[in-house]
Amino acid sequence: MRALSRPCLPKLTASIRSTSKCSTRSYAIQAPGAPTIEIFNRRTKWLQRERAAANVEASRRVDYLRDEVAFRLSERLLDITRRFDHVLDLGANACNIARILTQPDPDPVSEKPVSEPLKTRISQLTAADSSKTLLYRDAAEPFNDEINITRTVLSTEETLPWEANTFDAVLSSLSLHWINDLPSVLAQINNVLKPDAPFLGVMFGGDTLFELRTALQLASMNILGGISPHTSPLADVRDVGGLLQKAGFRLLTVDVDDIIVEYPDIFALMKDLQDMGEQNCLVERRFGGIRRDVLAAADGIYRELHAEEGSQGLPATFRCIYMIGWKEGAGQARPLERGSGMVSIKDVLEGRKNPGPDTEGST
Amino acid sequence: MPAKPPRPIEKFATAVAKCTIESSAYGKCIVADYKNVHEGKCMAEFQKLKACYTAAYKKA
Repeated sequence: MRALSRPCLPKLTASIRSTSKCSTRSYAIQAPGAPTIEIFNRRTKWLQRERAAANVEASRRVDYLRDEVAFRLSERLLDITRRFDHVLDLGANACNIARILTQPDPDPVSEKPVSEPLKTRISQLTAADSSKTLLYRDAAEPFNDEINITRTVLSTEETLPWEANTFDAVLSSLSLHWINDLPSVLAQINNVLKPDAPFLGVMFGGDTLFELRTALQLASMNILGGISPHTSPLADVRDVGGLLQKAGFRLLTVDVDDIIVEYPDIFALMKDLQDMGEQNCLVERRFGGIRRDVLAAADGIYRELHAEEGSQGLPATFRCIYMIGWKEGAGQARPLERGSGMVSIKDVLEGRKNPGPDTEGST
Repeated sequence: MPAKPPRPIEKFATAVAKCTIESSAYGKCIVADYKNVHEGKCMAEFQKLKACYTAAYKKA
């Protein structure tokens, strides 16, 4: 290997006045902490969510999606038979998770009814969000008395203010998709968790609102002759696994759930997104919103391209990526070493009793 | 408290909703060859749609 010299490093013997191009180059060094590319304008997003929450009635009307997803996320808590002293709800929106945790029967589908609400297993819940109005929207609701909840307004969701090893679990429902630097936030979540504590999160990903995306693209292509982004770039399922692993989480579980909501027209969909505070806040977006003729065109295209046969409404897909990761801890189950398996999964799945001839073992 | 007047965009949405035939014709024209959409394609259909919702908007 020694014989291979790196051509772009100036040789020691070369004179300082050497004019070779290589000598003027330096290493491309990545700044510590990874460069943050700003995709979303956090201030715009903050404003949008503050404004949306200020209209309490409209904001509650569009809680259907957050409630449903918070419910599905909390259901996953049932699988962990543990008590949690201190739980963080990161990006709490209107504390939808807190409300779900106080519901009397968290698992209505199960044959054996779970009679205890999940809150009985949680001593303290910290709900954190950057939008104060949204966070305190339901502060006077009765569920607040049933659970020991503390609300914390964050200056930004990208930097977590807590000390390391603070929480016994971190939950996050439908807010991570607005984070610019997801790897850093996930690593910070890992940091604030106690050892062997879980992180359960859900975010919009991949094909979320692909119908709206395609309809708007075709319409603006046709009417304006070019496109500008109106929907966010989102993380894909395969990215999430890698991100969690990079952040130091163990025993990962990632799964996807599509929620399809039907809207009467494109305006109703966009109005609901606005009331949720989930509208476009890309840094590179076109100011002034979408032109009306483009909207009218997109509505027609949406209907032709995506509406179900015989249905009046327009389907909108919300792809939720659920992720569970555990902070490394002593005594935690670990995956076995690669190649150490003794039973063929093929035999198990085919229900064969006799193992193959190449495996040792009894019947 | 009297009901608030509808936001202009809501009025616009109602107007567009009245033009289902024109909207569908335009949509079909675009979707028929959606891999090759360019500026000015299906303009005849779009002008009909536009005339329809503009008229409906004025009436409302």
